[in-house]
Amino acid sequence: MCPLKSGTPDPDPWESPLFTLAAPLTVVASAEGEGGGFHAPSITDFFPPAIFFEGTIFEFNRVMLIRVIMTILLLAIFVIAARRAKLVPGRFQNAIEMILDFVRINIVGEIMGEERGRRYVPMITVIFLTVLTFNISGVIPFMNLAGTALIGLPVMLALWVFVTYWVAGIRKHGFGGYLKANLFPPGVPKPIYVIVAPIELLQILIIRPASLAIRLMANMVAGHIMLVLCFSATSYFLFEAAPALKAFGVLTFAGGFAFTLFELLVAALQAYIFGLLASVYINLSLDEEH
Amino acid sequence: MDVTTLAEVTGNIGTVGYGLAAIGPGIGLGILIGKTIEGMARQPEAAGQLRATMFLGVAFVELLALLGIVAGFLFV
Amino acid sequence: MPTVHSAVLAAEDSAVEGIDLLIPAWYDIIWSSVVLVIIAIVFYKYILPKFQAVLDERTEKIEGGLAQAETAQAEAAAALEEYHQQLQEARTEAAKIREEARAEGSAIVAELRTKAQDDATRILETAHRQVEAERQQASISLRADVGSLATELASKIVGESLEDHARQSRVVDRFLADLESENTAGVGSNGQEG
Repeated sequence: MCPLKSGTPDPDPWESPLFTLAAPLTVVASAEGEGGGFHAPSITDFFPPAIFFEGTIFEFNRVMLIRVIMTILLLAIFVIAARRAKLVPGRFQNAIEMILDFVRINIVGEIMGEERGRRYVPMITVIFLTVLTFNISGVIPFMNLAGTALIGLPVMLALWVFVTYWVAGIRKHGFGGYLKANLFPPGVPKPIYVIVAPIELLQILIIRPASLAIRLMANMVAGHIMLVLCFSATSYFLFEAAPALKAFGVLTFAGGFAFTLFELLVAALQAYIFGLLASVYINLSLDEEH
Repeated sequence: MDVTTLAEVTGNIGTVGYGLAAIGPGIGLGILIGKTIEGMARQPEAAGQLRATMFLGVAFVELLALLGIVAGFLFV
Repeated sequence: MPTVHSAVLAAEDSAVEGIDLLIPAWYDIIWSSVVLVIIAIVFYKYILPKFQAVLDERTEKIEGGLAQAETAQAEAAAALEEYHQQLQEARTEAAKIREEARAEGSAIVAELRTKAQDDATRILETAHRQVEAERQQASISLRADVGSLATELASKIVGESLEDHARQSRVVDRFLADLESENTAGVGSNGQEG
């Protein structure tokens, strides 16, 4: 991790906000920069300068642009698939239906069961696909930043899950009944409730949604930093370092390649885990006893 | 008095803190997932139930690592 | 870490702290909500119902197809059954017809045989009768002839001298010769049976 501390200010890449964070493109930027440019990944990557409405609460920056583009992409794919949906599916429709079936059967069906889960299938589907799409933007060239890497989207998704499982629990048991079922789980010795109840309250109030949001965000941030590190080190080694060090560029490029594949896996896995945990939390609210 | 600096490390001690915070959950996840796989191998028909429970447990354990991240940022 | 890109951050008023990763900015929340709401609305209102409809239709079609196949199979089985039955009927019919034909044939043969036998017996009978009639006729004519011949012979014998043996035999010979000639002349056309 020694390259981390050598972050030299490199104003060039910031001129065109769309392309700054694209790791492969820093190759060009650094090459024509001062020559000492090693673009170290940092947290500022996630707070690019505004494009529109700077300073207002509608500030629109690169991350928002990525989100909008990915939204359009996601909706375009699914609207086209839905419009062309036929009784006998083609290859494209089969793939789309496989994704929808995966959510319906392997996530919701497995956790909640067919009957109880039917009501929540659309919600989990939307959550799964949103997370998946925005995660994948982390490895798409020229975007190279996951839409979920900025905490806002994970927080909103987690809030949605939070509201859903509270509403589900209250509708099923009533407000008092829901709290009682969660805070005072049966089969626990009475004195222990002093410890258990606050923990459980913290659990259903803060920890569940916060862990959902932070898990997703942290995974994406870490993935982005790893990718940027690998690719910017590659460009540094290949174009600016001493000839003897150029071989390292190949190594770091291989690392970056491997991490790109790994990020794809993580993107899908995080979407799966987010959907699964959302189903689990909703299901816990609906259970007869905790 | 002259201080001879042999090696210098710059950066945030919070990073080290997070590294330490990740040890426990790492071990915990290993045990948790390993046991689940054992259970699945023993009773493949219960795989779905085991996987769901495992992820619930993973969420609990991972929470500690996530708290490590948060704490690292909070108490800089 | 906080001041890596100081030149850039100067433009942004505030430096980026690590904690900013965990606390969503207002613009972040707003744009996230916008994006999320748009995705959710499109999925809830259009995409998922559409796919659900297709799925339902497919299930229905498959079930309908299965039912149809079942009825078709049942129909085929019924047709086969009917065919078998008809075949069986046809076979028994054929057997019956054959049996009847055989019976009829044997009846015809028997009838023909009896008829032939009848004919034969009748022919035989007529022949017998004819023979009998001819015999009778012959005997009648013979009887008449014998009487006249006897009387003629007697008269001839009486007319001549009956003592003379030579004469006697001469008379008889003459008589027989006469008779023979008469017979060949008169009875020759009547047939020589006798």
